[in-house]
Amino acid sequence: MDTNTLVLMISVSLFLGALGLVAFIWGLKTGQFDDQEKMMKGVLFDGEEELNDAANKERKKKERQAQKMDGIVEKDK
Amino acid sequence: MIEDEGKYFCCKGCQGVYHLLREDGLDSFYKKKGSVKLTPVKERTRDLAKFDLEGFHKKYVTKDSDGFNEVSLIIEHIHCAACVWLNEKILHQTDGIIEASINYTDHKAKIVWDPQKIKLSQIIEKIQAIGYDAYAYDPKVAEEKILKQRKEYYIRLAVAIFTSMNIMWLAIAKYFGFFSGMEKDVKFVISFAEFVLATPTLFYSGWVFYRGAYYGLKNKVVGMDMLVASGASLIYLYSIYVLFSGIGETYFDSVVMIITFILVGKYLEVLSKKGVSDSLDSLRTDIPEDVTILVDGKEKTITALEVQIGDKIIIKPGDLAVVDGVVQSGEGSIDESNLTGESQPVLKSKGDTIISGTTSIDSTLVYEATKNFENSTLNSLTTLLEESQNKKPQIQETATKLSRYFSVTILSIAFATFLGWYLYGVGFEKSFIIAVSVIIIACPCALALATPVATLVGLSAAYKKGVLFKEARHIETIAKTKVLLLDKTGTITYGKPQVVEAMEFKEFDKRVLNRMLQSSKHPISQGVAQYLNSDEVVELEEFSAIEAKGLKAKYKGKTYVGGSANYLKELGYRIDKEYERSHFIFGCDGELLAEYQLEDQIKEGVKESLQKIATLGLKPVMVTGDNKKVALAVAKEVGIKECYYEQTPQDKAKVVERFGGGVLMVGDGVNDSLALSYADIACVMGSGADVSIKVSDVILLHDNMKNLVDAIMIGKTTYGFIKQNLALSLIYNALTIPLAIAGFIIPLVAAASMSLSSLIVVGNSMRIQLKHR
Repeated sequence: MDTNTLVLMISVSLFLGALGLVAFIWGLKTGQFDDQEKMMKGVLFDGEEELNDAANKERKKKERQAQKMDGIVEKDK
Repeated sequence: MIEDEGKYFCCKGCQGVYHLLREDGLDSFYKKKGSVKLTPVKERTRDLAKFDLEGFHKKYVTKDSDGFNEVSLIIEHIHCAACVWLNEKILHQTDGIIEASINYTDHKAKIVWDPQKIKLSQIIEKIQAIGYDAYAYDPKVAEEKILKQRKEYYIRLAVAIFTSMNIMWLAIAKYFGFFSGMEKDVKFVISFAEFVLATPTLFYSGWVFYRGAYYGLKNKVVGMDMLVASGASLIYLYSIYVLFSGIGETYFDSVVMIITFILVGKYLEVLSKKGVSDSLDSLRTDIPEDVTILVDGKEKTITALEVQIGDKIIIKPGDLAVVDGVVQSGEGSIDESNLTGESQPVLKSKGDTIISGTTSIDSTLVYEATKNFENSTLNSLTTLLEESQNKKPQIQETATKLSRYFSVTILSIAFATFLGWYLYGVGFEKSFIIAVSVIIIACPCALALATPVATLVGLSAAYKKGVLFKEARHIETIAKTKVLLLDKTGTITYGKPQVVEAMEFKEFDKRVLNRMLQSSKHPISQGVAQYLNSDEVVELEEFSAIEAKGLKAKYKGKTYVGGSANYLKELGYRIDKEYERSHFIFGCDGELLAEYQLEDQIKEGVKESLQKIATLGLKPVMVTGDNKKVALAVAKEVGIKECYYEQTPQDKAKVVERFGGGVLMVGDGVNDSLALSYADIACVMGSGADVSIKVSDVILLHDNMKNLVDAIMIGKTTYGFIKQNLALSLIYNALTIPLAIAGFIIPLVAAASMSLSSLIVVGNSMRIQLKHR
């Protein structure tokens, strides 16, 4: 067997595997595995309503942050 | 039952909650919760203003990166996922709250809010309005540290396992290639790939061992970490040399396997430490922060720490006394079971002492503080507990003792071997290879694994049987115990008086009795209510609970009374019997309707379990705060010959000390926590007070004696296996090292046999599972 092919195969396999590992560690670090119950039960609350809620949450947060920034700018003036 | 538009509610509170939810469009909550039962909303008279005080904010509230306030709370009364969903929704819909995430498992909530839009007290109010409650806790204490540590370990472990698995499929190719022939450059490619995988594992995951070895060296101790670190590093370096020189075999797979395996053991230990601090957090908040005192005839709320000697404190039904004192006015039953284990409430009136940590059952009392919070019993017990954690005897694992000498010896032998052969004239290469073979074959992975693996298997076998060892070394300690010290109430007995004899003189409407009993928190009332076992009640026209005497009610014009014989006699009833046991007599308009006699029953299987324990070589002894008659009777029934009765918490601790060592103590209430911490092994039944759970080394989840027997048996078996494993690994080393020194072993064989020895140790440990299926 051509060693170049071998090198290629091994590198690609390991790289793909590493991707999986990195994804897993990312999930760990962002706390997705912390709450076992939420992982399991959270699936039940997964309708359109929840999606809207999540979008609203994000929007509210951004609004607040923008307001805060304005507030600080105001104060500086 | 209240009816409202076709829906039925048990009380106005629940009805209120329903309307609130419907307004917000959240009534799908009732569908979501499924069949989970809810508890009625209770009256909350707590002062919420304290949540906005600066002192409170300084302790519990932090500012996040955007400048908003952040607090961690524990939400009470959550039964299921639907409750979490409800709380999160309500909070999110509240203007001013940026983020509210609640953990489904431990009910801890993180809330981020804008202090300019809403106050914390208002947030708590919202939570209370829908029938829940919240209190703050400080997440920095212990928990965060442990969580972080746990995560770190887990990530290292994940990396190590990933590389192990991948290295193995590379290594297998080489194993086959060894026999059937493999081209040099193919071998190089594979070996290089192994090298790439092994490097991060050794330095990142294996960093734990380098760190341990370093600290060991600083303290002049050569321990397990040093062995693992040096062994793994040497193999690694040698393999690199082989990789680039092309002579010999690489051993990257061994390096990675060693690290992975031993890391698993360490991780499991870190895991068990977390569950403890969860209970600790809820305990800290169980102690009420505010106390109501009388100042110039008016009620004032202050914090527990502000109470001074001489303050007149008011405790209402259900309240916990926070400081020690003497009763000034009022009269009532106090539940002292927390402190003495006595299931019978004690009647206190003017001049009697109130001990902190006890609860008022059914009356309001005013008492004068004789000590402040710091010096009161409750606080000093808790502090004593925290400090006495260090009184535990530190028993080193035998393997660590051995390995101290082991690694230094091996390193010197290897070096000597190298010199020997070199001077003998075979050249550097060969001498090096022989010396390395010595190190590899002597590498104490079998020794390093002997204890962890057996412990691992033992721990999981124990867990399957409902026994939780908090630390691995408790397995060894429990195997060596000689004396079994048992608390009576809650351990040998259930701690809940139950009806043993019931006699009904006439037919009567049990629903009346049921309703009366349900309105009383007295353990005897609860015992009779449990006996009646019915949910049927009727609305009473009048009801009153008379402290330490009984209950009185009016229904359909008739007066019903229930309680002690003395109480009914006072009211004019004729009772000729003398009752030896706890009892509850029920009568109506002068006529006796029924009598119930109660006993605190001995748990099932206690006698048999104690017999079994005696065969294991432990001597059973009983300690209790209860009186002589009851204590001796119970001791006789279960077959205990040595019994200490009427013991205070401090007395119990002294009993432990008198035995001098090898004491396994089993208890369940705050009254034994001090003694538990003095014992060599402390064991608590799963449903005991949180303080005891914190102090205990072994937690019995099944809450019975058979659980304890299992714990002891598993401990002894596992310890036996640990010794077996150690013996095996030592024999292995004793045989192979001389062979290696003599030059009969090449590194390949050395590594293979090293893996073989590890396998033997692991396989042997699995037998623990077979023994305890």
